[in-house]
Amino acid sequence: MNINLLREIGIALLFVLLQAVVFNQIHLFGIAVPLVFIYVIFRMPLSLSTAWLLTVSFFLGLAVDIFSNTPGMNALACTVFAFLRRPVLSLYLPHGSDYVAEIPSIRGFGMWLYVRYALTLSLLYCVLLFSIESLSLFDFPYLLMRIVGSTLLTFVLILCIDSLSQGREKRL
Amino acid sequence: MRNLIDFLIKHHAWIFFIFYVAMSCILLFSSNPYQRSVFFGSSNRVVAQVYETTNAVSGYFGLRKANEELLMQNGELAMENLQLRRQLQRYSYAAAADSLAQSDPMLQQYDFVLARVINNSVSHLENYITLDKGSADGVEPEMAVVDHGGIVGIVNVVNEHNSVAISVLNTKLHVSCKVKGTDCFGSLVWDGRSAAYAVLEEMPRHVEFVPGDTIVTSGFSAVFPDGVMVGTIHDYAKQKDDNFYAMQVKLSTDFARLGAVRIIKNYTQDQQQLLEKEARK
Repeated sequence: MNINLLREIGIALLFVLLQAVVFNQIHLFGIAVPLVFIYVIFRMPLSLSTAWLLTVSFFLGLAVDIFSNTPGMNALACTVFAFLRRPVLSLYLPHGSDYVAEIPSIRGFGMWLYVRYALTLSLLYCVLLFSIESLSLFDFPYLLMRIVGSTLLTFVLILCIDSLSQGREKRL
Repeated sequence: MRNLIDFLIKHHAWIFFIFYVAMSCILLFSSNPYQRSVFFGSSNRVVAQVYETTNAVSGYFGLRKANEELLMQNGELAMENLQLRRQLQRYSYAAAADSLAQSDPMLQQYDFVLARVINNSVSHLENYITLDKGSADGVEPEMAVVDHGGIVGIVNVVNEHNSVAISVLNTKLHVSCKVKGTDCFGSLVWDGRSAAYAVLEEMPRHVEFVPGDTIVTSGFSAVFPDGVMVGTIHDYAKQKDDNFYAMQVKLSTDFARLGAVRIIKNYTQDQQQLLEKEARK
């Protein structure tokens, strides 16, 4: 239990550092920024209580904020995002059916369900983040381009990362 | 009382949610870029350390290009030096003739500190630059940051060994600029789109200019010295009220590849600001 918890904290820190040092520097075609650290929230166990989920998400967002000089922006988006994760997932499950797997992943969910889950959540997060950001300067066509570009980039990268981690677990 | 506790337990998820949203909103709306808390920015010691470590690796990537640029600049400076020396020689003959030469206090108005950029972004609407020099090296808030291409930003928060500057690519920063050779000035602000362009607003319509003209700082704000390179006019259009032009300026600084910068100290800045404050009373 404790070793698992430490491992999860280590993974979360690793994603914050990766986001700060690598992914924040990527700015594809001047519009798309990969927001890969939200994968930490993607893969949190579904049985985790909402209070814990919100706490972890808030501090995850805050950590990324501190690194990118945007106090409150990612923290707010992460909190709202974590709160909406379960409702989004239940959209795609037949009414009344139980969750397919404890931890959302391609292996647990199956490709098709996970693709829908990841795409919807990436879009949700990009909409939240860029809407909050555009409070300081509203420019609708540019906002739309940023949301679509960043959603696709984040989605593809998260699918890649999830496939990689799956391969490793199978070998173990 | 019991009802209250029941209520709290029943709705604890909502209470957590509202609490965290409120916390984020306080952070989001209370932090203004000029009084940003040292804890929630990259002038935080831990964060600065991480960026310094990664910069120690990534700093090598652009060395060839940086070297070429330095050689180029070195050549230009050598040429300028030659010309100035020739002029000086000419003037020294003249000065010898009417021995009235005095040292000019205005020449010592500015001083500079060399610094390296250890973190930089161009992807947000409000971009900041972290530098590896701090108060121990004489850096203070409100100092100008320039590189070999032109203006970069204004120092905002300083700790002992690091400082954070507001980039020109920040929609909250306005810099007073003018078309080189004229005295009509406008306000340079970033529109949040491309890192290569900014907009010069409030240019009076009677000023004559053509695309390609050079834009330099006006020196009015006491932060940037007069005549620091900003960029060239790329395009222009009438503003909403028809009395002013808004120009699209192609910035001469390459913000995606900032390396070595100079932080400029203006010794008369405090005096000028004090004087202007006095005049407004």
